Amino acid sequence: MSHEIQRIRNIGISAHIDSGKTTLTERILFYADKIHAIHDVKGKDGVGATMDHMELERERGITITSASTYVEWEGHHLNVIDTPGHVDFTIEVERALRVLDGAILVLCSVAGVQSQSITVDRQMRRYKVPRVAFINKCDRTGANPERVTAALRDKLNHNAVLMQLPIGLEADHEGVVDLVEMKALYFRGDNGETIEEGPIPAELQEQADAARTTLIDAASMFSDDLMEAALEETVTPELLHSAVREGVLSLDLTPVFVGSAYKNKGVQPLLDAVNAYLPSPLDLPIEAIDLDENEASVKLASDPEGQTVAYAFKLEEGRYGQLTFVRVYQGRLSKGDTVFRASTGKKIKIGRLVRIHADSMEDITSAEAGDIVGLFGIDCHSGETFYADGPRLAMTSMHVPDPVISLSVTPVDSTAQNNMSKALQRFTKEDPTFRVRLDPESSETVISGMGELHLEVYVERMKREYRAEVETGAPQVAYREAISQRAEFDYTHKKQTGGSGQYAKVAGYLEPLEEGNYEFVDKIRGGRIPGEYVPACDKGFQEAMEKGRLIGFPVVGLRAVLEDGNSHAVDSSDMAFKVASRSAFRQAYSRAKPRILEPVMKVEVEGPAEFQGAIYRTLMQRRGNVLGSTEDGGFARVEAEVPLAAMFGYSTDLRSETQGKAEFTMEFAKYAPAPSEVTTELKEKYSGQVAQEDD
Amino acid sequence: MSEVMINLRRSPRKLLERDGHPGPGPGRLALILARAGVGKTAFLVDVGMDALLSGQEVLHIALDSTVDKVRTWYDDILTEMLRLEKKLDDLAPLQVAIERRRHIHTYIGQSFSTDRLREVAAMLRDVMHFEPKVILLDEVNADELDEEKISSIKAVAAEMGAELWMACQTYREGPQAAPGHLPPPADQFEEQVDLAFRLVSEDSKVRLHVLKDHEQMLDEDLHIVLDPQTQLVTFGVGG
Repeated sequence: MSHEIQRIRNIGISAHIDSGKTTLTERILFYADKIHAIHDVKGKDGVGATMDHMELERERGITITSASTYVEWEGHHLNVIDTPGHVDFTIEVERALRVLDGAILVLCSVAGVQSQSITVDRQMRRYKVPRVAFINKCDRTGANPERVTAALRDKLNHNAVLMQLPIGLEADHEGVVDLVEMKALYFRGDNGETIEEGPIPAELQEQADAARTTLIDAASMFSDDLMEAALEETVTPELLHSAVREGVLSLDLTPVFVGSAYKNKGVQPLLDAVNAYLPSPLDLPIEAIDLDENEASVKLASDPEGQTVAYAFKLEEGRYGQLTFVRVYQGRLSKGDTVFRASTGKKIKIGRLVRIHADSMEDITSAEAGDIVGLFGIDCHSGETFYADGPRLAMTSMHVPDPVISLSVTPVDSTAQNNMSKALQRFTKEDPTFRVRLDPESSETVISGMGELHLEVYVERMKREYRAEVETGAPQVAYREAISQRAEFDYTHKKQTGGSGQYAKVAGYLEPLEEGNYEFVDKIRGGRIPGEYVPACDKGFQEAMEKGRLIGFPVVGLRAVLEDGNSHAVDSSDMAFKVASRSAFRQAYSRAKPRILEPVMKVEVEGPAEFQGAIYRTLMQRRGNVLGSTEDGGFARVEAEVPLAAMFGYSTDLRSETQGKAEFTMEFAKYAPAPSEVTTELKEKYSGQVAQEDD
Repeated sequence: MSEVMINLRRSPRKLLERDGHPGPGPGRLALILARAGVGKTAFLVDVGMDALLSGQEVLHIALDSTVDKVRTWYDDILTEMLRLEKKLDDLAPLQVAIERRRHIHTYIGQSFSTDRLREVAAMLRDVMHFEPKVILLDEVNADELDEEKISSIKAVAAEMGAELWMACQTYREGPQAAPGHLPPPADQFEEQVDLAFRLVSEDSKVRLHVLKDHEQMLDEDLHIVLDPQTQLVTFGVGG
């Protein structure tokens, strides 16, 4: 059985936008006989590449969400996961990286290592994903694979070594020299499907000998046998392959391949390299967490006979209902099996199992450890773990960060209204960091997420996929309010308006809570408030916290302690205690010195070292706190924490300060008290709004 | 400076001040010598923490670590200091205060040079108004240093009005210290060293020895015992 698992490769194709990764994916599908015609990104035939299956992606020529597809190549099963290049889609990228065992890092032979490549590569490094590099677009004017390989070493710190040399560049790009077998490969036929072998062209022989020596030197660091064979000049292709594989698996060596996916050159040898060098699920350690044991780490094995553990990393709504992409980490998933959802413990039955090829699929009866498949008829959220009877195992923590930015969306007509509801329902299932709520005051629908681009893409998808034309409001930062000191309350709610009255008295204090958002403590002794009314007090405090008194944003980090009170045999009720608690909150709140908290983002800016000063300046101007910087050759990376409210329009500012040579990424870091000038401004704005509403 | 912050100063630097061995002074170099794994980085972070808690700005330079890794050192040591003082509630505001006075600058590969250091210092001063009084230099390959290189680094520190603390790994095997000299490889540039200390690992504790005090070469146990994990003082002078 492990023999089969050994032949599985779960790989991602990752790169800077426009490096040609979608074209490369398309060629992979073609050569593996999964599609019968090649369509290009923004192709003249208007069909678009197969992996970019969402209309929006086709139009923009970029890949937004990850789709997984299955191909077979030379007796190996490849699950190709197309990963998004945009860094704003953190959850999407992280989920895709989570299920990868290896990756192809695609680089443009003209543009070289761009800062987006650096970001993606850093994410791969963080997830310890072994990679092979493919220097694409060797047919373009200015192509220089050697320079790109040097940049891989200098800028990305890869121990990069060429496995091939290009035969001709730019318009003369014909094929590649294989430095392991020492032969030339030419790609003939209409689509490069026929590979013709030949001797190395004489003019490249000397260069190829030198490059092979460099390759053997680099690979021999991972194999004593190869080192010995090199000394005795008895190096075999097998020895060299095995040493390169060792180097790749230890993340200490990156073999570099060259070609042009668009011109159908070099793709098949790259697929051979995926089989030869990238890991199978058996080669990597897998860890889950036990939710019943305080999230203790549990080692899993890619063993079909073990307890089943599978991870849902992507949902898609299609013609046949919800399609859930899962990776089986341990055990097997078969049609008719019963498994449990880690988040709820709820039982579900496996209905239809499919292998997915972008827009088409084949039915299967079972999937084993290591494989990636699709499930139909399963109601779950993305990021869910399924486990068979046994310990409650999950692949990731169930913690989902709160969104930090909101936008109101208003449908233009009733058709758009209906379609928008459908779209939002689906998006919230797919992406737990995307939320929707109805603002009770403005009656507007408000969407929230992790960044500007994150929300922009969903608005676009509403328009394209659901024909929901919407107008959007200005982005709103998700501020919070929090108290900074303890304050007592003692409030009596008394009302007599004929008939039965209302009476409730509550006393106690509010204090800051370090961990968590809210805690209610009942310290009532001797039945001063009858037990039946205590939950109403709790509810009253929670309701009051929904809208703080400084700027109308929710209050967080608060403990309400109820110590004393009083009730009336006839006039007390749940409602009276709820009202009393809400008023008690208001009474104590201002004395508890409330302050405004603002979301602070961790921002990383990368650019040529000569722009380091300019980068510092852009961050300082935006209330940034620079934490540190790293110099790497001629490149610099600056890390800072910057309030989200100050980050609007940053990309334009950064571009103009650095001649477009620096790029940045950001993710939520923490909530922190807003400085006094910001607090004053927000308070003034809020009181203006309140006054307007009162008029 | 708040009372909390002053009381937290458990760094060996504080005891050194009391014992008549102050920091080296602007433009001067204090060297921390130890074998691999004894705790040079933790010691440097303690020195930095002491300066930060005294309200000084600190530039921490590392040649083989990420910014995050160095940050984690500071966070861990601050947490430990506060735990010992039972003041963990002060962690978040103190972290913010410290981060505003500290800049971590790391170099990957062979990117570090005196010229780059001078340029970065000027940039930090002009753009961020950041003027460190203490510079910490960690993970330098001392085998590649000589008097001229050290002298030029000290000159940059002098221009900034900052004192310089540098970690130097000594050999576990191979040449050891000749009498009256610093252990290799620091002997190559010992003329440029103003203060030198050695961390000596003994019975799961670390003791601090002084090897050079300006003109004087010595090997004296300062009777300061440090925690092997954090290098914070566990027993003071005479302990």
